[in-house]
Amino acid sequence: MSPKPKVAFFDFACCEGCQLQVANMGEELLDILGAIDVVEFREVMSEKWDQNYDVAVVEGSITDNHAVERIKKIRERSKVLIAYGSCATIGGVNGMKNNFPLEEIRKSVYGESAKFFDTIPTHAVGQVVKVDYFVTGCPVYPPEFVKVLKCALMGINYEVPDYAVCVECKLNENVCMYERGLTCLGPVTRAGCNSWCINNGNICYGCRGMVSNPNIKGAQDVIARYNIDMDLVQNKMNMYNKCRELNKK
Amino acid sequence: MKNLILSKERFEHFISLLAKKHNVMGPVHKGYDNFSFQPIKTAAEMTLKYVPTIIPPKKYFMPQYESFLEYDKTWGENMKAVVESEALVLFGVHTCDIAGIKALNIVFSDRPRDYNYLSRKKDVTIMGLECNEYCDEFASCAMMNNHLPDGGYDLFFTDLGDFFFVEVSTLKGDVIVEEIPVFEEALGRHFKELQGLRARKAKTFTNEVGIEYQHVPKILSDTKESLIWNELGDKCLACGNCTNVCPTCYCFNIWDEVNLDLKTGKRVRMWDSCQNEGYAKVAGGESFREERSARQKHRFFKKFKYMVDRYARFFCTGCGRCSRTCMAQINLKETLKKLKEEYAR
Repeated sequence: MSPKPKVAFFDFACCEGCQLQVANMGEELLDILGAIDVVEFREVMSEKWDQNYDVAVVEGSITDNHAVERIKKIRERSKVLIAYGSCATIGGVNGMKNNFPLEEIRKSVYGESAKFFDTIPTHAVGQVVKVDYFVTGCPVYPPEFVKVLKCALMGINYEVPDYAVCVECKLNENVCMYERGLTCLGPVTRAGCNSWCINNGNICYGCRGMVSNPNIKGAQDVIARYNIDMDLVQNKMNMYNKCRELNKK
Repeated sequence: MKNLILSKERFEHFISLLAKKHNVMGPVHKGYDNFSFQPIKTAAEMTLKYVPTIIPPKKYFMPQYESFLEYDKTWGENMKAVVESEALVLFGVHTCDIAGIKALNIVFSDRPRDYNYLSRKKDVTIMGLECNEYCDEFASCAMMNNHLPDGGYDLFFTDLGDFFFVEVSTLKGDVIVEEIPVFEEALGRHFKELQGLRARKAKTFTNEVGIEYQHVPKILSDTKESLIWNELGDKCLACGNCTNVCPTCYCFNIWDEVNLDLKTGKRVRMWDSCQNEGYAKVAGGESFREERSARQKHRFFKKFKYMVDRYARFFCTGCGRCSRTCMAQINLKETLKKLKEEYAR
């Protein structure tokens, strides 16, 4: 039997919650460890690996020049790169930084020591280096993470569903949040999480990014009909999706 | 065929006994005027006066997600077929949803036959329930002629105040009324009350759209290029709600789910929708229905033309779910009315 693929986990600007999702997977983690050889994973082990990686699993977004250099090096050393979690795949909540002038945000975070810290607008990993697989979500939905890992190990494609969270939500027969008088981003957010939040009584925050071809005008009409403040929706959208603006440039 | 009555006093007892012997699913209130077929043990858990459930009882015939093959690389092409099915009783199915199941029966009996669907069909006992009044303004069951019982069930219940009139339609239904001895013979006065209800319904349940349904295929063919379709496309969010809640939509997507050994796995299918972005996309990224207007048009043609051409059956049951669930307020009845006006011009 050929040796198990060497897999390393890395983190950039993030809360490390997605690593926790993996570490907390329970019994299924044993099956995963039967299929791969984890050579680096800062949250759960001290060992480091000085050779190339078969698969690099990257959490977090790229927010300074040091991170740019580091992710480029990881990319060079990895046959396959998986970006996982919203910070890595779409910029996530770190993208809110891009709402402010860089200087202002640097001072508010580092105060007098600001001059010691460089900063750049928040980027998703895929906006800096080539990414082979995306596992979106804040945090990642563990079944989807496993699905993508298997695709990576087999060298086949994984398509993030390009339809709305509403599709999975309807299949789960949830009462629509709009009927409950709540504002939910399900109609424009990409599915693949099995409507995890709504199944548990919460609204969709749009953490998986937008569908590729949203009907902006139609969505605005719906929002107006439900008497929802457009700024509120804009803010909700930007909470996770601010970095999409970088793609337009 | 035989006719019985079940006194209201005995109804709770009937459901409890039924649920002791069978897996019973009935309409359950989920809040905010939303209902869903769920497992029940007692009559009290059900709401019998209900607006059509979020998704129709088709979920018991073709589950949202199911495995149908198991494989192991060492078996080569010899995959193992699997059917995950269990016997169950559906209580309180409206006539619109029975019409939906009848439509699906035709599709899945066509060759190549769908054995997963057909095995479940064999396992399910259907107990229908008549609507004495309209559920809401979205329904068009009278237009589609689905507001009265017309077969497709094992037992059919009509609420007539102090008692249910019960039509025993199949042997399967007969076995149940024999094993649960709570029914009485239907007498002349019971038939009279049933006829009274039907006479009242003939006055209240009238064609909601003002189009004879037989004319809809022609209207659609003649309004193919209408701008009305573009209006629908401008509104549509392509969320897929209209098709996922439709009692006759049956499209699914298929893929393999490999286990972590990367050698064994299963082939699964999940409901798919012609409204979804990727549905008509092929290798290379080309989509045959890129515009949302074309997808909406396809939905109407599927219900009122293509299936009629192929199976001589309308695939709209008039349940109203698509309009009820649409956040963009795309309304089936209104759309048909507009198309008819344009057609008449």
